[in-house]
Amino acid sequence: MGKDVFEITVNILKMFVIFLMMVQAVPILVWLERRGSAFIQNRLGPNRVGPLGLLQLAADAVKFLFKEEFVPRQGVRFMYFFAPIMAMIPGALSFASLPLSVPIKIEPFQMLGQMWGPYTFAFQGYDLGIGIVFVLGISSLGVYSLLMAGWGSSNKYSLMGAVRASAQAISYELALSLSLVGILIVYGTFSFNEIVAAQTGPLTFRAFGAEHVISWLPNWGVFYQPLGALLFFSATFAEANRLPFDLPEAEGELVAGFHTEYAGFKLLMFFIGEYGHMMVASALLATFYLGGYNIPGVMPDDVLAFWQSAVGGNLASILTAVTFHLSLLLRIAILLWIFIQVRWTLPRFRYDQLMNLGWKSMLPWALFNVCVTALWVWFGHK
Amino acid sequence: MSLSLNDILFYFLAGVAVLSALGVILQSNPIYCALSLALTMVSVAGLFASLSAWFVAGVQLIVYAGAVLVLFVMVLMLFDTKAEKRAFSKGIVSGFFKIASAAMIFAIAGGAASMSGDARFSKLTGIASATQSTKDLADLLFKKYLFSFEAMGALLLFIAIGAVALSRIQGGTHAD
Repeated sequence: MGKDVFEITVNILKMFVIFLMMVQAVPILVWLERRGSAFIQNRLGPNRVGPLGLLQLAADAVKFLFKEEFVPRQGVRFMYFFAPIMAMIPGALSFASLPLSVPIKIEPFQMLGQMWGPYTFAFQGYDLGIGIVFVLGISSLGVYSLLMAGWGSSNKYSLMGAVRASAQAISYELALSLSLVGILIVYGTFSFNEIVAAQTGPLTFRAFGAEHVISWLPNWGVFYQPLGALLFFSATFAEANRLPFDLPEAEGELVAGFHTEYAGFKLLMFFIGEYGHMMVASALLATFYLGGYNIPGVMPDDVLAFWQSAVGGNLASILTAVTFHLSLLLRIAILLWIFIQVRWTLPRFRYDQLMNLGWKSMLPWALFNVCVTALWVWFGHK
Repeated sequence: MSLSLNDILFYFLAGVAVLSALGVILQSNPIYCALSLALTMVSVAGLFASLSAWFVAGVQLIVYAGAVLVLFVMVLMLFDTKAEKRAFSKGIVSGFFKIASAAMIFAIAGGAASMSGDARFSKLTGIASATQSTKDLADLLFKKYLFSFEAMGALLLFIAIGAVALSRIQGGTHAD
């Protein structure tokens, strides 16, 4: 945790801030989703409460909090209440393990008549070193939330939604994990920080016994793994239960799927889980394939030098971290908008189409990607 | 006796693992059994992680807790298990099988414990990084123990084929 009180306090606060960052993004995303869908469908959307309808979020929150606490009489109370909590855990834990910016280096300073420092604070909740495997393992536990919701509600629509959800999650987890194997082979590490560090500078690769540098392209993973990026992005839609993969809550067939019996704040917790999944998926895609928090054509030291000439001292280090954090947030925001745009553009798959896509198309392509990457790396490094 | 943070973590995870494993065999509803087993797997993954076996912990989560047990729970939810519950909680024949399988498991566990009397467990020290320890593990699996690893894979494949063949012979669950 840290050497002294200051470091431990900052590290604990960091965990809270990163968790709150994820939770606080949800109302904004809900507003964006409703306004965005309205404009896509030639409507206005919520525009009455506050400027641009932004206070609609506050009104929604109040409504959610004051709804009647409802439990189905035949339901299993423990599972019914535990499911929404379980929905939030995987997203929160995965998001905290992602590096969100360059580390902040704090020089020694004086406070309360004592010398403190020097410190290095990583801009992430915790660095496990095993990054990818941890995130895959934790997010695969998210299915239990839907299964418990389906069983605990004692409702046949909920149960059917839950069973569909688990079948879908298992099918697409294979394609998701295999598409990441390509990244593992290319970078040879599990650590997010090492993967991000490997994506700085211009595009550099070895082929046919010589090193090639393309100076006008950034050194991003998507140029090494275009197929892997496509498969990963498609599979994350299925993992987050978003359209066109929202079979678990197909309104036309299952009322509302696994959360039919939920209302009020418990329903909101499912939403936080879903949007958390989307944010983790976008952040992972940005980290693996879009250069993480790197800014194309700019090295971290240049930014640090710029801020040091402008403000200097510890503030320069903090501002450098904020600059790179904004660069990552921009990518996450664009990817989240693609999530929303796709939801309101594409129709839902039929169930057999979903299974065919997962098992007969995405899984073989992911295996093909692994083989081609392995051969390329083998011959490239020979 | 002073407890370090690691000791407290170990006793907590081990306690959860043992209690949820007891839950697997003491509960009569198969769905709760499967969910307890999932909890056991998660706490065992935590135990692996506390031994710095990060990769094994992650794989434990992905494969067992995330895929195998989700399938168990899903299949159990699909079927009406009332008749099976009755058949397995009453009767002389099933009682005999329960006692016999319990005796076999205790015999295996006792034999393993008596044969490993000299073994001393110690925590690995000086592991470079999670990536390096995973590379070491892969070296062992794909060089030293390659044959047994591949034989294990073949065995699992045969079991899967056998299960499919058996379910087709007896009409199975997919009546056609």
